[in-house]
Amino acid sequence: MFKGFKLTRKLENTLMLVFTLIFLGYISMSPDMNLESLKGVLIIGITVGIIYGLVAVGISLIYTGLDVVNFSHGEFFMLGAFTGLTVYNFLIDGELIYAIFPDAYGWVGYVIGLFFAFVIMGLFGVLIERVFLRPLTKKGGGYTVAGMGIIICGFGLSVVLLNLAYIIWNPTAHPFHADLGLPINIGGVTLPMTYLWMLVTGFTVAGALYFFLNKTKMGLGVRAVAHSKVISNLVGINVPLYISIIFGIACALAGLAGTLVGPTYQVVVYMGYIILLKAFASAVVGGFGSLPGAIVGGFTVGLFETSCAFFISGSHKDAYAFLLMIVVLLIKPTGFFGVQVKMKA
Amino acid sequence: MLKIKSLISGYGSVQILNGANMKVDNQSIVALLGGNGTGKSTILKACSGIIRTWKGNINFNGEDIQNLPPHEIVQKGLVQVTQGKDVFPAMTVLENLRLGGFTLKSKQILNDNIEKVFNYFPRLNERKSQLAATLSGGELQMLCIGRGLMSNPKMIMLDEPSAALAPQIVLDIFKNINKIRKDGLTVLVVEQNVRMALLLADYGYVIKDGVINVEGESKKLMYDESVKDSYLGGGGTTANV
Repeated sequence: MFKGFKLTRKLENTLMLVFTLIFLGYISMSPDMNLESLKGVLIIGITVGIIYGLVAVGISLIYTGLDVVNFSHGEFFMLGAFTGLTVYNFLIDGELIYAIFPDAYGWVGYVIGLFFAFVIMGLFGVLIERVFLRPLTKKGGGYTVAGMGIIICGFGLSVVLLNLAYIIWNPTAHPFHADLGLPINIGGVTLPMTYLWMLVTGFTVAGALYFFLNKTKMGLGVRAVAHSKVISNLVGINVPLYISIIFGIACALAGLAGTLVGPTYQVVVYMGYIILLKAFASAVVGGFGSLPGAIVGGFTVGLFETSCAFFISGSHKDAYAFLLMIVVLLIKPTGFFGVQVKMKA
Repeated sequence: MLKIKSLISGYGSVQILNGANMKVDNQSIVALLGGNGTGKSTILKACSGIIRTWKGNINFNGEDIQNLPPHEIVQKGLVQVTQGKDVFPAMTVLENLRLGGFTLKSKQILNDNIEKVFNYFPRLNERKSQLAATLSGGELQMLCIGRGLMSNPKMIMLDEPSAALAPQIVLDIFKNINKIRKDGLTVLVVEQNVRMALLLADYGYVIKDGVINVEGESKKLMYDESVKDSYLGGGGTTANV
């Protein structure tokens, strides 16, 4: 029936537009629809989206750099949240921070917590890559023939890290009482400060990552290693070192995202699993392996999920991300930015 | 400059080189010739550290370099240029060249070297802000050689610079290789285009089954009966290219 039928780029885009219009039309008929709620959904959707985006960027970075889909990435997110929480509690509840800065506010401790989550998770990522992942592949950073084994090892690593956290922090939910001040009002929407922190920090870090990758020498090296390890070797890049750097940056971003999310929800050992799946959905929607795609995919999933939860039904909130992923895969299998630059033969 | 002594190497468990011996003199152009699958590229890969040397010795400028990490070999001044299409397609010409000078510490030297490459290949200057994916085959080869020159190497190893290119472009590239040698570099060129390579080179090696079969001055090699028979398609005149 479909003989000769081909999804051209134009048709793909038209179908995407039709789907978007149907979706927008559907939610606009919701009884909850008004300007106030739309504004709220937009802000919260973007906030959640930047978090998904940060984790998805890490997954995409590892995928392009190491040719491995890292299924343990959610655990770095969870461990990052616990690191941030521990540092914050140590400083604020232990009143250590007041010994140094007598007039300190809660946010000083939170910033230090964010910093530690970023740095410790980065170093921990490098350690995991060096000690556990590298010996599993060919010696000397030969990740190109990683294959199925290392993917299963990613699952195994996820279970191990989960149980490690379980031993240290026990399975109860830990509230993260970050004292960040009163909610503020942006354009008629009352927003808790935690959301503002997510927005500002998320965008700053995404911008910094863009700057790092496109304007610095090390970023150029990262992009080179992501494309081809052999050519990178031949131009004099220390490829094994750069693979560690890539893994470290990806884990640091996940850890930072964990501490950003912590105060809004709770910190619990199981929090990594659902964020991993949603970050995957974001990466697939944006085009797997594309870094701008991961951020845009994060926004798309965040906005779609939030608006569905608000206007349709909040009880199936976690399913919407995957519904969107399936729709995008059906209509535009490469994702938004999944266009590979092909060489002329 | 480069001395290879009874080099044994291969891929995985498959042995390709069975004890190859070679010598490349300072500021010379040496051609390494041979049919498909005889181990030409394998020698280059072993020299640049991409594959491991199983046995034997590679000496560059008085230092043993076998089994060093590839980036250290580049820092010592030995650069391999792979076959034609090995560029970073999603980056601009300028970014590709900058990557070639990745081992350089100073930005000034980097910019000077970019100018130097543009002097050899003015076409690259015209296309410097284009993505490498949009270049033609000849321009890609120029970009590859240019990238190899970026790190101020002492010696450059070219893997089939004439592959899949029009004769006019091959001539242009070979002229530039000669110019590069005149500017003080040593060149080792692996070629299938035997006549062109021997016209360019001072000395030639012919490899067969992983060992050097015949060697000699390139003018002598061109009239060597065994080389003629096996690689030049016996009976053809060698003078016309």
